[in-house]
Amino acid sequence: MAGVSLEKIEAIAPDQASLVAARKLVKPGGWLGLSADNSGLIWGECQGSGASPYRVVASEIDAGYKCTCPSRKFPCKHSLALMWMRAEGKIPFESAEGPQWVQDWVRRRRSGTGDAGGAEREEAAQPKSLVRATTDEAEEIDPKAQARAAAARDRSRRERETAIVAGLDDLDRWLMDQVEGGLAGFAVHAGKSCRSIAQRLVDAKAPGLASRLDSLPNRIYSLPEHARAMAAVEQLGQLHILAEAYRRQESLDPNLCADLRREVGWTQARESLLGEEAALCISGRWRVVGAISEVQPDRLRRLETWLWREGATDGPRAAVLLDFVPVASGQTRGAYRTGERMEATLVFYASARPLRALIKEMSSPAEECSAILELPNEDLAGAITEYEDALTRVPWINIWPMRFSEARVRRNGEKLFLCSTSGGRAALPMLMSQVSTVAPLLAMEKIDGFGLWDGYGFRLCFAQTPLGRWVSE
Amino acid sequence: MGERVNADELKSQVLPVLLGGTRHETGEQLLAPGTDREHAVLNALSLTGQVLRFTPPSSPNVFAVESWPRDERRIVPDRLRPHIFRLLDKCTEDSARALALTLEKQKLRPHPFDLPKLDGFIERYAERLGTTAQYWVQRETPAQQSRGYFEADELNADNWTESPLRARAKFLKALRNQDPEAGRKLMQKSWGEENPDSRVQLLSAFQIGLSAEDKPFLESIEKDRAPRVRAIVQRLHAAIAGTTADNPALAACMQRIQRSQSGLLKRRSALKLELPATVKEHETNRWIQEQFADVTVGDLSHAYEMSETELVEAAEKDNNLLFALALMASRENRFALLDGITDELPDAWGRMSGLSGDEDLRNDADELVHWAKVLIKPKKWLPEIPFPAWSWLHRQMEGPLPAGIMREILASQIWSEQLDQEKKGPSLEIIQVICALCPRELRVVVRTQLEPLEAERKHKGSMLLEILDELESLT
Repeated sequence: MAGVSLEKIEAIAPDQASLVAARKLVKPGGWLGLSADNSGLIWGECQGSGASPYRVVASEIDAGYKCTCPSRKFPCKHSLALMWMRAEGKIPFESAEGPQWVQDWVRRRRSGTGDAGGAEREEAAQPKSLVRATTDEAEEIDPKAQARAAAARDRSRRERETAIVAGLDDLDRWLMDQVEGGLAGFAVHAGKSCRSIAQRLVDAKAPGLASRLDSLPNRIYSLPEHARAMAAVEQLGQLHILAEAYRRQESLDPNLCADLRREVGWTQARESLLGEEAALCISGRWRVVGAISEVQPDRLRRLETWLWREGATDGPRAAVLLDFVPVASGQTRGAYRTGERMEATLVFYASARPLRALIKEMSSPAEECSAILELPNEDLAGAITEYEDALTRVPWINIWPMRFSEARVRRNGEKLFLCSTSGGRAALPMLMSQVSTVAPLLAMEKIDGFGLWDGYGFRLCFAQTPLGRWVSE
Repeated sequence: MGERVNADELKSQVLPVLLGGTRHETGEQLLAPGTDREHAVLNALSLTGQVLRFTPPSSPNVFAVESWPRDERRIVPDRLRPHIFRLLDKCTEDSARALALTLEKQKLRPHPFDLPKLDGFIERYAERLGTTAQYWVQRETPAQQSRGYFEADELNADNWTESPLRARAKFLKALRNQDPEAGRKLMQKSWGEENPDSRVQLLSAFQIGLSAEDKPFLESIEKDRAPRVRAIVQRLHAAIAGTTADNPALAACMQRIQRSQSGLLKRRSALKLELPATVKEHETNRWIQEQFADVTVGDLSHAYEMSETELVEAAEKDNNLLFALALMASRENRFALLDGITDELPDAWGRMSGLSGDEDLRNDADELVHWAKVLIKPKKWLPEIPFPAWSWLHRQMEGPLPAGIMREILASQIWSEQLDQEKKGPSLEIIQVICALCPRELRVVVRTQLEPLEAERKHKGSMLLEILDELESLT
């Protein structure tokens, strides 16, 4: 099995100092046993400054890692050193079955919900040393207890449904208040106003909508002043569509209903999706075309990895992997870098336009790939049409992936636009926050690439040019 | 709202009502014709919002015409780009300068996509990084204030005024060396548009090849508004006339120099520079620099009626006067004389390093090597050379030291003591500047010497050496 390469280790290292520190640990002396199994797991115990050695485990498949040291750098020097030794191949790894603490880590990774910090919460609940598994003893099955638990879950679910509907009624009243006051001035008091209704929706157990409302002011303020009132009409209108659709969800297509419930705040456990037989699974060669790291208002960092399936003829071509980590953890980047390629099977969350996915199985690890990504020969106008089609099917979408061929970045005043070069006047304004990083592309006659459109600004993630690859990271 | 409303009507009739508010029942008939007013209003909001979502963003009819310059330099290979990012992240100015100088020497340029990420580096060293980098740093400068984009070797009389001051002064100096008249005409042409700083720098370069033919031009500018320019003009006048009588700067210096006789068997003149009581110790070097800025060794020698060698001998007991002579000799490229002075005052370069704005212009690489050889004498150094002195040396050299000098430095007691300092070795800064000053052939020696040091301390220096090796191996 191809392991993690030295280039990958260099890419995931948080800084040069971590690499230098890791280099010093790349010797067998400081380690109490280095082992590997035949499924891509490597582990070892490293004697650090603490009384007991740090337990370090890493996956060669996706460069995932875990170390019990208290470092606030991710990955820490121990994790880097472990992968480094494996990549160099100079120090032998004993072939063995993973001990209990390694199995625990694997189990936690599989059962991570992928929702806001779920995996992290579970990690935090474990003792630092990962000494003992808590599931050693098989639990006895009590049918009565199971029935009671199922009934409790059912009751809890009904209560939540009722709470959400009540919350949506409050949302409608709030929307009505905003319309009565006039949306031309909404931006002036958006921060305070949105916060209050977002809190109400948190109480109503609709965290998805609450989060949407919490991020609304920033979204509006990021636009030029003249566009804010229109954006308020659009965004508040979408909120009402969501509320109205939720009340009538029985009449919706099941896939659209799944989209809706996720948008409101219902989550599907990772394990449940991975075990769902009817879930859409797509195998292929996936290229990372965008990696985005953003802090949400709830102090969680949202890590998005956008993938493009090479050579796809049917089924979803784009996919996004989502991870959430607490800002306080210090982790600022996900496991994948733009330009990497992997062979994997992805399982998609049910949706009218499937996009969000999980990696079900990876047959080759993500590795840097310099080959040109073959994108469909569709210009920007085609990508815009596809966005409109998606908006027709899922009226509340916020972000939509767009790939394009033969476009050009052009300037008008301080603004940059992505323009079609193949006739027509398709032009999308680019994010103001990208003006500086995108500026070198002004010198390019034609570019192909991938980006994200939110209806107001185009975020360029990846571009192929005569001068090589441009990435936004 | 009516039974059927199309998108245009929503935008033209309903949108204004939503923006203006329904509290005062404006346009109420449009939004809520039925009994369920709230439902109708919110439906109108959703529909109008969706119409706007489907409205293509407005795009301008015209776009700016891009005028990126042609850049003949090769782009840095992709494999080196991440290493350069890592090096420039929190490295010293010496490492950044060494990188910029090597890129210039190898006719390489940063990848255009890296320009935004290396903004600080590009801004500081644009002149050395090619025309694209120069364009990048000026991309937001108004057209009337921006300069042209030239490689140093593309400078000529036509584009001379559009290049940075330092490059212009170097060009003028070279031109005066070859053809003094052409140099004078070039300077005359642009003189009226130069600012005071430029006038001082250009006039300093003008003294090369000075002759009586320059007199009319000097007379035309002797009433310049800038006092420093007037002082230089007076000095140049005096130099042309072969007299020192008209140089007030010389007279001021002579007032501060005490002359006496010493020796029993053979009476010799001894000169001593008396500093004003108000000049504190840390201000001494700066005061000397300013005091002797418009005086030449020849002026002093003529004034005291002794040869230049005798002048140095007469000053040998006074380090301050020797330092003044060293400054003048260095400025005038009087290398033989400077050699004699630094024999007596080996830390002259250390004292020079504390002075700002005294970077002499040396076009010729041989000239620079010669200058370094007579100024830098590691075998005579006393311990404790502060980091700024090393950094100054790299700035002056604009590249590595000659191998002979570097070999002496690497074998010197001072460097050995640094390497062994409390068993930890030299600071990060010193290591980086030594690596920056090290010529290619001695990098292996430096690597060996740094080998026992902690990785944290030496990693930037080692990285710099690796990158320079790679860049220099590109053909």
